Amino acid sequence: MKKLIAGAILLGASSMAFAQPGCGVGAMIWEGQSGIAPHVLAATTNGTFGNQTFGMTTGTLGCQTNQSVQSMAMYMDSNIDKVARDMSRGNGENLDTLAVLLGVDQVDRDSFRKVLQDNFATIFPNADTTSGEAVDAIVSLLEQNESLSKYVAA
Amino acid sequence: MGYPLRTGQATLWLACFFATQAAFAATPENLHNHPVWLTLGHYHQDTLGSGYTSQADDPAFFLSEHGKTSPRDELAATLEAIQQPGGGNDHARCRFPARDAWLREQLDLPGAQVDCPDYDEWFEELNTEKVTLVFAASYLNSPSSMFGHTFLRLDPPQNDSEADLLLANTISYAADAAEHDSELLFAYRGIFGGYPGITAIRPYYEMIRLYNDIEHRDLWEYTLNLSQPEVDTMLAHTWEIQDKNFDYYFFDENCAYRLLALIDAARPGTNLLNEVSTHAIPSDTVRWVRDAGLVERVHYRPSAATAVSHRLDTLPRDHRTIAAAIASGYVQVDGPELQQLTDQERAWVLDATYDYVRYQSEAKGWPREFAAPLSHQLLVSRSRIEEARDMPPVPEPEIRDDQGHDTFRVSLGFGQLAHEEFTQLTLRPAYHDVLDPPAGYRSGAQLQFLRLDARLYHDNQELQVEQLVGVEIRSLSPRNQFFSPTSWQVGFGGRRTDTGTERVFTPYLEGGAGGSWRLGQNSQAFAIATADLEIDDDIRRGHDFAPGADLGLLHQTNRFSLLAGAKTKAWIISNQHRQDQLYVKGNLHIGREFSVFAEFTREDHFDRYQSTWQAGIHAYF
Repeated sequence: MKKLIAGAILLGASSMAFAQPGCGVGAMIWEGQSGIAPHVLAATTNGTFGNQTFGMTTGTLGCQTNQSVQSMAMYMDSNIDKVARDMSRGNGENLDTLAVLLGVDQVDRDSFRKVLQDNFATIFPNADTTSGEAVDAIVSLLEQNESLSKYVAA
Repeated sequence: MGYPLRTGQATLWLACFFATQAAFAATPENLHNHPVWLTLGHYHQDTLGSGYTSQADDPAFFLSEHGKTSPRDELAATLEAIQQPGGGNDHARCRFPARDAWLREQLDLPGAQVDCPDYDEWFEELNTEKVTLVFAASYLNSPSSMFGHTFLRLDPPQNDSEADLLLANTISYAADAAEHDSELLFAYRGIFGGYPGITAIRPYYEMIRLYNDIEHRDLWEYTLNLSQPEVDTMLAHTWEIQDKNFDYYFFDENCAYRLLALIDAARPGTNLLNEVSTHAIPSDTVRWVRDAGLVERVHYRPSAATAVSHRLDTLPRDHRTIAAAIASGYVQVDGPELQQLTDQERAWVLDATYDYVRYQSEAKGWPREFAAPLSHQLLVSRSRIEEARDMPPVPEPEIRDDQGHDTFRVSLGFGQLAHEEFTQLTLRPAYHDVLDPPAGYRSGAQLQFLRLDARLYHDNQELQVEQLVGVEIRSLSPRNQFFSPTSWQVGFGGRRTDTGTERVFTPYLEGGAGGSWRLGQNSQAFAIATADLEIDDDIRRGHDFAPGADLGLLHQTNRFSLLAGAKTKAWIISNQHRQDQLYVKGNLHIGREFSVFAEFTREDHFDRYQSTWQAGIHAYF
């Protein structure tokens, strides 16, 4: 487990120098266009233009101390629209990744998926929900669930 | 000019040589010429002379100050450095773990443990069992991406329930260009050098986001059959070149090239780099890797664009209409049109509509004020449907990109131009035109580089260059209810043009834009507005310009391809004549190695009619 989290943080660190995940407001869901129109030549020749990673914004929400939650927050920040999509359908690889980051055991995966699907409207109350707010909502939902609360314990 | 300098170098070299000999008598004489050492140092034989030069352009990659040009000095320096006592991040054993392991094995040196905190942590965190070569295919309506892109994915152990492929790391090598560089500067520096190349490690989900979601490119994942020790060697060597500069060149020392070097380092004797001659097209490098027997299994990951098209196609026609109406805002997400459907049907319509709205927002910049609330409503409605089957996944294309026809084409034809017989030889180094066998390529896409058409006229035994294509790009993408791409074309080079009295070779630039509509599974009709510019002394005013149009049909199957239509150009500056053409071109494909072609053109120019026909054979290498 530790290895995985360290890995997930390493990923982030390679390009965004240990931002404090779970502290930020994070990306707004459906931010609109990602703004990187493919450069014709870059596409042909594989140049990279600047940093195309998706940075985090620091904000006002409280920092999470649970490392798994931090990893989840970091992942949500880059992939919030896909996580939301999988969540509404109750399955999908991005939801699996979330479960892996939180360390949810195979036996609990079904209830994990179901809780998130059933409470979609609570996690994403409106179209302006940020990833930070969604993470906080997920944490409090899981905390209230008997079998899932252990995965988000601080 | 460099005579005294060379003598100096030679003296120095001799000095080093003897020092080396004295200190390490155990060194087998030719170890520095060993292929593995040359691979690890990225040494390549000089074009002139018998020496070697490393492709690394970074002093930090060498331990000897002559390391760039002397594998022998570098080996001596490395051997000395790795035998120094101690450890720590700056120790040579920690900086060059792959060299260290190989030299110790070759020379039977005691392999005492060394403490390398940074490297050990990095290695453990990468947690790699298998290596997968990922190929980003070209994308819809962008033939310039046809060359593709490749990177390596480091797969965690499969039985590790805490591991996940989306979180796996990837290694890629790219030109580190500044964002504000113009296309022209980018092209210039890319071809002639000037961009540093960097090896970057990033999570796979970021690559998926970039290639699958933003650039709409399908990803092909080729898992390599490297053993655990080979994988470990690759990682050790990646550590050695990470953060080191290797100048980036588009055509040869590009993204694909450096990855081949890593595979060569992992499995000595593979020699994938020997396949590279003048250029390393990523899709070709995939073929080399496949032909070297390195591929264990292949997995297909469709792009967002491919997936959304497939989902819309999966819906029954009337549901598709509902999806289009929701996406356009004519039908509410909670409206009666949707409520009358069963849960299962509604789930699929909501899924497909959501994916379509996301696609349009990313690709076409739909305004957030419209797209975000709609996306939210779609997902909230979808989350209330529990037991719905998933939509069927996108089927893997029967023919992969690396299984398409080879890209170098040689053609021999025989024909007549206004009753003059000729034999034509065509050489086309790269890549694909719309009449070539379409399997493994995007339909309607064309990209040709440096095609040379040479003709020998039989009557007077005159050899003429008929056309030299610099670059020719064409993209015919059908429009429909959901997608409205622009079809376009651009090209430049030199070609024979009719001045009314003779056919002269003249530089040209041409372009066009328009639309295309699907007529059936394999056919489309297109209408393109074109513009042509020719510049030559033999043209009356030195140059000529023609607006025009091209209307035609394109049919592509694995057996037969046909392009037919009518072109008209109005030359308005020098010759002031219309040039009208009817053309039919057909290719009959014999497997993916050969095509038999025939073409006929009837032209009205300078108030006279003239026919050209030609038939022959294409061979693909």
